[in-house]
Amino acid sequence: MLEIRDLHVRFGQAHILQGVSLSVGARPMAIVGRNGMGKTTLCQAVMGLVAVREGEIALEGAALNGLPPFRIARRGIALVPQGRRTFPSLTVDEHLRLVARRGARWSPERVYETFPRLAERRRNGGTELSGGEQQMLAIARALLMDPKLVIMDEPSEGLAPVIVDHLITVLRGLSAEGMGLLLIEQNLRVATEVAEEVAIMVTGRIAARMPARELAENPELQRRYLGVATGGH
Amino acid sequence: MSAGMDLAATIVLNGLTLAALYFIVASGFSLIFGLMRVVNMAHGAMYLVAGYVGYAVFEPLYDRDVWYAWYVGVAAGVAFAAVFGAFVQVVLLGWMQGQELRQALVTIGLSIIVADQLLAIYGGTPRQFFAPDAIFGSTQVPGVGGYPTFRLVQIGIALAVGIGLWLLLNRTKLGMMIRAGVDDRQMLGACGVNVPLVGVAVFALGSALAGLGGVVGATAQPLAMGADGRFLLISLVVVIVGGMGSVTGTALGAVLIGLAEQIGQALFPTYSVILTFVIMVAVLALRPQGILGRA
Repeated sequence: MLEIRDLHVRFGQAHILQGVSLSVGARPMAIVGRNGMGKTTLCQAVMGLVAVREGEIALEGAALNGLPPFRIARRGIALVPQGRRTFPSLTVDEHLRLVARRGARWSPERVYETFPRLAERRRNGGTELSGGEQQMLAIARALLMDPKLVIMDEPSEGLAPVIVDHLITVLRGLSAEGMGLLLIEQNLRVATEVAEEVAIMVTGRIAARMPARELAENPELQRRYLGVATGGH
Repeated sequence: MSAGMDLAATIVLNGLTLAALYFIVASGFSLIFGLMRVVNMAHGAMYLVAGYVGYAVFEPLYDRDVWYAWYVGVAAGVAFAAVFGAFVQVVLLGWMQGQELRQALVTIGLSIIVADQLLAIYGGTPRQFFAPDAIFGSTQVPGVGGYPTFRLVQIGIALAVGIGLWLLLNRTKLGMMIRAGVDDRQMLGACGVNVPLVGVAVFALGSALAGLGGVVGATAQPLAMGADGRFLLISLVVVIVGGMGSVTGTALGAVLIGLAEQIGQALFPTYSVILTFVIMVAVLALRPQGILGRA
């Protein structure tokens, strides 16, 4: 579905992405890696939020390079950004109406059925919500755009464990429905429970790619690439 | 009622009518800054150009004694300013988004060119619209006596602008986009919204408000060269005092500055100009984001 070939991104002297190649199919995929490896920059490059000098990004065969973010969004990629970035000046309901499209698989009504907490908070502002509620709102905002692929950057960051469990259930449900998922995660449990395949990013490159189960069950691999001793948590 | 009370009431009413004009102009300035982060130094030029273009349309109709001459003049001035504003955003400022210094310099240059072109085309004679009979003449105001009707209409126009802007921002989809864009432009784009196009709409709207101010202002008092600089300065002061990007803040700033000018002129005419800046300095010292501005 999403095809990334030899992607380079530089910020001044810093060479952040050093030739990323990755293809994301219909099965949910996660990218894991330590801090500062370029995972967030990769999300932003795909979405058109940072300038790409070299390399190609294509969705279902059509090139996305150089398109402004709103065109990329309309082609069918939705971003759930790191830190949620919900709009402080908009209520929950306004967030949904802003992006709602006629004839889309998701409508504000369906969002409220799926996330009852958001229905209770529909008149509240985007920053009057708890972290978990903001995350649900950011996900709902992405779903209403009727995307082919949702890119989520650290969705479990800062959430309580019970909310993380809920998040995993939601993401698995979306994936089962046929929504493409590219998940950036530091939380290995979320990554391996949601995704079927995992790519590991090290200093601006994809260093390895493997079935999620293999990484979950192999502490040696985890130690080598992620510097963690155990999966889970 | 004593003569002193009458005078005080007149001064307050004068302050409010002036505030109404300031609000109309400054709300456009604030709107553009809020979404685009552009300090539009050509905002005063929009005021001036709308006044002159509106007058050029108004005059021949008025000479033929057409009753709707003024309304057509207003519409022409406002429409011209809106199209001009959209043009400026598309052709000049759009491609230097985020480069604030460059945008400020370009708009300063533009305002100089506009003022000189107006001088070349229309000459330096002041212009003044004649309001239609329905809103001309004087009206009895309790506690004040006879008061120019058009100045009261001016307050009505400002209220309509304020309510209209509030409804636009809070009750329409474009308003949602503008507020979301003020919060996080980049994320708004990632939500599939054509942010540059919203920017053009906002620029057109903000300039149209400057234009409306130009025509209304040129009906209340003669329009002459130099009005562009004055109204740019007033817009800056009003939004600095009230808070950038807030409609209510702009209204509050306009009322404060309008009242201060009129009260100052009545009590200590020589130093009245200073009062405006004293208010601005005090606000900057105590609350740099403006009275109702967000930090």
